[in-house]
Amino acid sequence: MLSIKNLHASINGKEILKGLNLEIEVGKVHAIMGPNGSGKSTLSKVLAGREEYEVTSGSVTYKGQDLLAMSPEERAQQGIFMAFQYPVELPGVNNTYFMQTSLNAVRKARGEPELNSLNFMKLMRAKLKTLNMDESLLKRSVNAGFSGGEMKRNEILQMSLLEPYLAILDETDSGLDIDALRIVADGVNNLRSPERSMLVITHYQRLLDYIQPDYVHVLSGGKIIRSGDKSLALELEKHGYGWIKEGAEAA
Amino acid sequence: MSNAVPNHESLKAHYLKVAQDAAKTLSQQQAIEHLLPLKLPTLRDESWRYTPLAPILGQAFHAVQREEDLLTVDDVQQARATPLESPCLVFLNGFYQADLSVLPADGSVLVDAHSHTVMPTAVFQQSFFAGLNAASADTILVRLKAQTTSAQPLEILHFTYSFESNFIAQPRLHLLVEEGAQAMVIEQHLSLADTLCFTNQVLQIEVGKGAQLTHPRLQNESLRARHLSHVSVHLAEDSRYQSTNIALGSTWSRVEWQVAFKGEHAYADLNGFYLSGANQSHDMQLSVLHRVPNCSSSEQFKGILHANGRAIFDGNIVVAQDAQKTDAQLNNANLVLSRDAEVYTKPRLEIYADDVKCSHGTTVGQLDPEALFYLRARGIPKQDAITMVASGFAGSMLETCGFEPLQARVMQMLTQQLTEAAASI
Repeated sequence: MLSIKNLHASINGKEILKGLNLEIEVGKVHAIMGPNGSGKSTLSKVLAGREEYEVTSGSVTYKGQDLLAMSPEERAQQGIFMAFQYPVELPGVNNTYFMQTSLNAVRKARGEPELNSLNFMKLMRAKLKTLNMDESLLKRSVNAGFSGGEMKRNEILQMSLLEPYLAILDETDSGLDIDALRIVADGVNNLRSPERSMLVITHYQRLLDYIQPDYVHVLSGGKIIRSGDKSLALELEKHGYGWIKEGAEAA
Repeated sequence: MSNAVPNHESLKAHYLKVAQDAAKTLSQQQAIEHLLPLKLPTLRDESWRYTPLAPILGQAFHAVQREEDLLTVDDVQQARATPLESPCLVFLNGFYQADLSVLPADGSVLVDAHSHTVMPTAVFQQSFFAGLNAASADTILVRLKAQTTSAQPLEILHFTYSFESNFIAQPRLHLLVEEGAQAMVIEQHLSLADTLCFTNQVLQIEVGKGAQLTHPRLQNESLRARHLSHVSVHLAEDSRYQSTNIALGSTWSRVEWQVAFKGEHAYADLNGFYLSGANQSHDMQLSVLHRVPNCSSSEQFKGILHANGRAIFDGNIVVAQDAQKTDAQLNNANLVLSRDAEVYTKPRLEIYADDVKCSHGTTVGQLDPEALFYLRARGIPKQDAITMVASGFAGSMLETCGFEPLQARVMQMLTQQLTEAAASI
């Protein structure tokens, strides 16, 4: 699904990713954990196509294509979805209209017919029901005045509409209380399928109590320094990031 | 003639002649006397300092005669934002077209096309062009009768269209919303062709005691047109006035508002939106006078600029010494989509009372790259993303117009123009 090889990326001339390697197979959930400043956000932004981040060497291949050559909209149209750590408020842009435009842009790119408002609302209601959400967010402007929990739920709703092949969750748990966290995690778990891969980026282990990953990687200093199964996350929780950094330096 | 730029003296002589040829009534003759000493505005006049007159109005625009058979019922119907059965007043080049107009059967709207009432001259007294209008145009008096509530909005359509070119159209309206009346008046200014003309309007509105008027106004004249409008609003006790002034058309437009509170507990909600693209300039001059206590006003104007579009916003709120408990909130926000666009914005407060709540602010910003990225990350192409963010910026202003079909029509025009603009960003 996604193959990252020796990825180096910088912003404003400062190198953040320093030779990152990662293989994500179809249907697997990978978690990336790491301390502040380790490059987690940079990785998600490079994958989503933020132009300020410059890839200086390495490659990213998505379903056999050169991901780095694609525009952000092409990536989304090809089935990559990034749930933002800080979703953007769009005053005056109606949430329903936004999601319909987004879904139709993706459908169009995939050669599927666009949905009219009636059919779109049918689909939307079905998704809301699955996610156990109500319609209150739909009438408002995109994320405008939303609470942290509402923003994240809105992200999960978009993800469930767009049905991506690869979902990247960028610190989706930040700023959420335990109830909101559970709603978000349920949404994500609902979308788990053998065709869908996920990359869960998080600082804390607690999200992984709810979203059980197949693999856990530790990112530090712009590289993955350790990989393992979900027990690695528990060890990290117990010993902190210092433990693993020391280990890596000793090795 | 059209290539040479006449100097101010010869231009003034030209317009005096236009007025003298047209003036028939006593009040028009008096208006000429008043006009004689007035000067054409120059860059030395504060409110015209960003508006050199020569390229805009430097050519001599000629008077046109009333033409009866030029405008058809079809033209009117296509232009209407309101249902065909609702009342409508039609003007062509400033002349009232009674045969194309529809008045309500219940007598709630009365039109006097030969009004001999003289508009109060206290407003726009120093304005040469308002004086020119007074001297050469007939005043159409529109009365919305006391204590009536109109179920349907009254639409006022101003068309500019002629086989001639370089002409001046001078609508002159006196709108009386009598005591306790509640109404919506939708005003549109349109060209039927790619007309080169100069609209020089005077609109005086009086909102009576306890009366309410909602007044959306769309200026969408041809991209060669020049549009100058003087709008004065007087608010009596307990009255409400809500307006949304939308400027999309013409190569140059300027609206001068003079809003004055005459009685306590009145409220004015003044909103505006302008879209200024290639070779366009929109100018909003707003003067609000809080003369009496306990009134509130809100002035919210937004604009989008692209290509080499220009905009000027000058909003001034004066709170007189006696106008205690005034609440006035003035704001102007601009979204600039290109390097070549220009905005001159100046919100001002002059407060002489000591117990008031007033604020003013202005912003000039660009598209938020975070917002664009968010939309693109959802599969929406960059050009559509730009249109969405910019329409969203305009949306809150258009919503204030209070009449959904007009709002939808403007949004459609706006989206189309933004889509074209976004292609070159």
